[in-house]
Amino acid sequence: MSEPPVLELRGIIKQFPGVLANDHIDLDVRRGEVHALLGENGAGKSTLMNVLSGLYSPDEGEILLNGKLQSFASAKDAIRAGIGMVHQHFMLIPVMTVAENIVLAEEPTYAGVLLDFGKARRRVRELSDTFALAVDPDARIQDITVAQQQRVEILKALYRNAQILILDEPTSVLTPQEARELFTIIHGLTAKGTSIIFISHKLHEVLEVADRISVLRRGRKVETVPREGATEESLARAMVGREVLLRVEKQTAHPGEVLLDVKELHVRDDRDLEKVAGVSLQVRAGEIVGLAGVDGNGQSELIDALTGLRSVRSGAIQLEGKSMAGASARDMLDAGMGHIPEDRQRRGLVMDFSIAENIALHDYVHEPASKRGWLYPNRLIERARGLIKDFDIRGGGPRTHAGALSGGNQQKVVVAREVSRDPRLLIAAQPTRGLDVGAIEYVHRRLVAERDKGRGILLVSFELDEVLSLSDRILVIFEGAIVGEFPPDTSEEALGIAMTGGGRKEAAVA
Amino acid sequence: MSTFASSFDAARRVALPRRIGIAGILSALLGLWLALPPLEGRTIALPVVFGLLGMALGIWAWTRGEHKVGGGAVIAGVFAIALGLVATNTSTSNLSGVVDWGVLISTMFIFATPLTYAALGGMFAERSGVVNIGLEGMMLMGAFFGILGADKLHSWPLGMLVGIASGGVLAFVYAIFAIHLRADQIVGGTAVNFLALGITGYFYIKIYGANGTPGTGIPTIPDVNIPGLKHIPPGNFWDNAFGHLNLTVWLMIALLFISYIVMFKTSIGLRIRAVGEHPRAADTVGLSVYRIRYASVTVSGMLAALGGVGVSAFTTSFSENITAGRGFIGLAALIFGNWRPLGAFAASALFGFSFALARRLQDIYPNSAEVLLLEALPYVLTLIAVAGVIGRSIPPASVGRPYKKQ
Amino acid sequence: MSGEDQLDHELEEPKQPHGGDYAPSVAERLGIAQRAGGVIVPVITTIVAFLIGGIVIAATNLPHGKEPWYHPISSTWKAYKGIFNGTGLNWLFPWVSGSDRVNAAFNLQQTLILTTTLIFTGLAVSFAFRCGLFNIGGNGQYIVGATLSIWVGASFTNLNPFLHVVFAIAVAGLGGAAWAAIAGWLKATRGVHEVISTIMLNWIAVWTASYLFSQGGPLQNSTNTAVPVSNDIAPGAHLPVFWGNPVLSGLHVGFFIALAMPVLFWVILNRTTLGYEVRATGFNVDAARYGGINVNKSYVLAMAISGTFAGLAGSMDILGWQFRFGQIDVSVVNIGFIGIAVALLGRNSAIGIPIGALLFAGLVQGTSTRNPAIQQVFDPSLAGNLSGIIQGLVLLFVGADVLILYIWNARRKLRAAGPRPAKPAAEGAA
Repeated sequence: MSEPPVLELRGIIKQFPGVLANDHIDLDVRRGEVHALLGENGAGKSTLMNVLSGLYSPDEGEILLNGKLQSFASAKDAIRAGIGMVHQHFMLIPVMTVAENIVLAEEPTYAGVLLDFGKARRRVRELSDTFALAVDPDARIQDITVAQQQRVEILKALYRNAQILILDEPTSVLTPQEARELFTIIHGLTAKGTSIIFISHKLHEVLEVADRISVLRRGRKVETVPREGATEESLARAMVGREVLLRVEKQTAHPGEVLLDVKELHVRDDRDLEKVAGVSLQVRAGEIVGLAGVDGNGQSELIDALTGLRSVRSGAIQLEGKSMAGASARDMLDAGMGHIPEDRQRRGLVMDFSIAENIALHDYVHEPASKRGWLYPNRLIERARGLIKDFDIRGGGPRTHAGALSGGNQQKVVVAREVSRDPRLLIAAQPTRGLDVGAIEYVHRRLVAERDKGRGILLVSFELDEVLSLSDRILVIFEGAIVGEFPPDTSEEALGIAMTGGGRKEAAVA
Repeated sequence: MSTFASSFDAARRVALPRRIGIAGILSALLGLWLALPPLEGRTIALPVVFGLLGMALGIWAWTRGEHKVGGGAVIAGVFAIALGLVATNTSTSNLSGVVDWGVLISTMFIFATPLTYAALGGMFAERSGVVNIGLEGMMLMGAFFGILGADKLHSWPLGMLVGIASGGVLAFVYAIFAIHLRADQIVGGTAVNFLALGITGYFYIKIYGANGTPGTGIPTIPDVNIPGLKHIPPGNFWDNAFGHLNLTVWLMIALLFISYIVMFKTSIGLRIRAVGEHPRAADTVGLSVYRIRYASVTVSGMLAALGGVGVSAFTTSFSENITAGRGFIGLAALIFGNWRPLGAFAASALFGFSFALARRLQDIYPNSAEVLLLEALPYVLTLIAVAGVIGRSIPPASVGRPYKKQ
Repeated sequence: MSGEDQLDHELEEPKQPHGGDYAPSVAERLGIAQRAGGVIVPVITTIVAFLIGGIVIAATNLPHGKEPWYHPISSTWKAYKGIFNGTGLNWLFPWVSGSDRVNAAFNLQQTLILTTTLIFTGLAVSFAFRCGLFNIGGNGQYIVGATLSIWVGASFTNLNPFLHVVFAIAVAGLGGAAWAAIAGWLKATRGVHEVISTIMLNWIAVWTASYLFSQGGPLQNSTNTAVPVSNDIAPGAHLPVFWGNPVLSGLHVGFFIALAMPVLFWVILNRTTLGYEVRATGFNVDAARYGGINVNKSYVLAMAISGTFAGLAGSMDILGWQFRFGQIDVSVVNIGFIGIAVALLGRNSAIGIPIGALLFAGLVQGTSTRNPAIQQVFDPSLAGNLSGIIQGLVLLFVGADVLILYIWNARRKLRAAGPRPAKPAAEGAA
């Protein structure tokens, strides 16, 4: 370990209006090590990595590569210096091929003009052989799996001779099995001398893959520790700054009558591909049913179909025994369906509407909000005022625009709206995405409380922790079908196997 | 093993329903053709039979998922029968007056050429992710400054260059607003159209006054005469159709192929498309999104202006708002043609043909009010085309979204 | 905590478009701009646009020969003065008297007649905007409305005059609504961008109307068959004139109808569930859909209402002062386009639109060939194009909300920087 670090950050400061995102951060990465960067959402991990990959320039501080001072004016400089970044949301162009994506901006050409497709393919094959990253250079990105897309991203960095590879939340879109494969790939890379910066907020996988771990909290580096000796508890404490409850307190459920009964549901997506292929499930009053699965296995289409936002190809949906065939979103809402949507900014809220108007989003057509087409804004405001108090929404009054609220308070507006409508069934899709720990705890407690009031809750989440700690029953969805039902004390491992189709091998690379 | 190149659409395999649908379109066209000169089958039976056959094949293709081509075949069938009816009920002399294929084709080129330039211009902008509603205004700039340049500099090539430059300048101004200032691209493009209308109108009046551009004395872009075509049968067809086309037409055809190669076979094109599909991905590999968009939009304006140069070259004069919505039709042709050069040309040719037909009919029936209605035909066709009776097209994913650098 | 959340929101990777991007709609951006810019930005925009217009005049009037060096400035000044007097706004100055005063009154009547129409077309553009739609088909809808007014006004001559007027107005509104609804319907069912469809519908309206009024056309003048103009509407179908000459385009009562329209506009948007749906759709289609709103219905209805305003504009002109419509009139209609500038400058608000309408009416009337005042200083067709340039510049600057935000922030910084109390002068300077 006497070798100097490949990368050294000294006193990095990055300020945004109102927030100090990085506050004097020091970090060093050694050759061939996996260095994990651990922290909550908003702790400053992404900012730091964007500084490192040349997307932001730091307000203060130095970046040294192999002991030499660097200054990156753009992503290009960072790439030239050998830093490759795999973003959490992949930076791939869906309609283009694997090879096109990999060579983009560094294309092999004839005479500097015409693309040399043959050479591009050869280079991609060479790289994928060298690093054991199987991909088909001619496949289009939109046609390959997420895990394969991730490999393309890694190849993209390697094609540019990356010495340091930054992986931003790389397992968030993977099954536990795919994550394991990724770890193998990572160790293969480090064995060849590449250094990895592994960004995550998942304690157990950091402990599994990293050599050293740096913890960030509110823009500052709290500590850097070797893996040996670190525990989930010690890391969690460092990350959050206090002891955290990793499990939600709740009583045993007392399920009642069947509220939602779905039979043999088939749904297609916008590209007319069958995404929900014969789903049958039930949700009873007073229970939380968790729907676990990797992103893109038909969850969104299923939710859309259940909430009337997408048409059903075949199959039946019954709500409290009433058939909801061909129901519109309005019909579903009026029949007692509540829905905390996956994406509050895109769907859950109209950012330019006031809190009061947002709270009326479903019920503006009904009395007392309106009568015979006339809207009564004062009544909307009154109602909002009550809910703001009940749900402890901070940062504004009924007339404040939703866009002016913090993420946690925006989600509270959504939860307040959905819960206060007194729905029989509540669909909660990714209800804690992007929230800080305090807000996550709030949403979790609220969901359990609503369950205890006798509502049926369908929880759809990509976070296994969340599904495991909240659900009374767990269903696993894979490629548009329910592949198993599990009790809440199932191990992550067992769920993970089900999430990949019950141990079925992923279809071989074409 | 599939080759890398096969990932490009050109080599995409054509499925059976699609082929059947295409056969349906061809059948309908055949039926119509049989009723028109030179064959002039004076019976309605032929267009009806072939039209119905085309519709049947179209429906077959439609029900098997090939909506685009199938729908096209159905519509072609309806048109074939309707026009066949008109044709067989018209006197032979009038019919051959209107349907002189050679003249129709050359007239079609006159109308289709500016549209194609505009569409090609639109392609560069939109493939890079910038909507260019201002094509119309950029054409107008080219139309006026092309004439002005040719007049004042006594040279048509210099006139063309001045025209192209004027469109490029306006496009660059638009690019500043659309790219750096992240203005709404639709509003900004509309503003550009207003500006161009005002600027060209202002200088037109200021320089030429009420008398307009002198019809004579301005060097004009020459026609390309191909003497050999006269001797190729049938009749004057080849000579009328291709023998005396303006230089701008041939230039358009050349640019069509150049644009295709640039867009799909070079690294420049790959980068433009990457920026239009996913600018942040392009940014993270070190491409300058802004620079590529600026260049694309400016080229877009230059191409559109070249189309405008063509408009005023055909008439060797300028009048206020001479482009009359052609920029917008070019944009529609681009959408109809699925953001590809040859597709855009095919769509432009269709619109151009309907203009040509309307013009021929007016020449034959100068005193009929109804013929004025035919002037609306290209616009109706455009509307039908974009309404996707023939299917929706998929635009570049990030078109119209300003990109914010981090 | 909230600071971090905010940051998280800021730093969140923009979602990829193929995953259903969250791209701000036109209406949403306007919402941003509205909060940021308030009144000051339209004012700055207008001033800048006029200044650039002045530079154009100055640059094209460079001194040559015996003209003094200040010729560009003096000719610009003269042109602006001519435009101002052409608007008739000098009627408001008590010292203007005699024949000047008579001319001023006439000019002001013309300006207000145009204001009437522009309030309608401005509201038309705005209403669609609030639903996230860009209706540049105002011209076509106006032509449809005007043509139908001609038809009703020139037929049904036995009707009671009041009913006749109401009937003609109603039919025009419905016609405009139907014409615009085509674009809304195409957007809702086929995903056709309304900009393309409304432009095409404009041209279809132009050629159809040209046909109707052409020699031998169905609506052509029945007595004088040599001119491509319609019959005059019946005297009973005229809107009463309350200021000026009833036959030589005095100011008609349509002016008051127009003044009532922004109120109606505001009430529909803010006090009805339809308005709520339209605004929700305009701000965020996905959220509207999720909220149970039938977005397709919003599109069709918003376009229909938008088209109603534009169609009514047509009836105001026909019934108020034009009384006939011809091929040439059809070919020069651009009132719908000016409505875009009115709407954007008026910030799509019920208060802003009448003000924007007055400004552009003044600009158009002041530079119009019908304005005798300007002819002495400036070629009127030149002036008309100048007003086109100014409109384009207004649109260009108003559309650039980043520029607006920049100005706004600079102003705030300016305020925050000094301990001095905020003084109004700083606003003007920003």
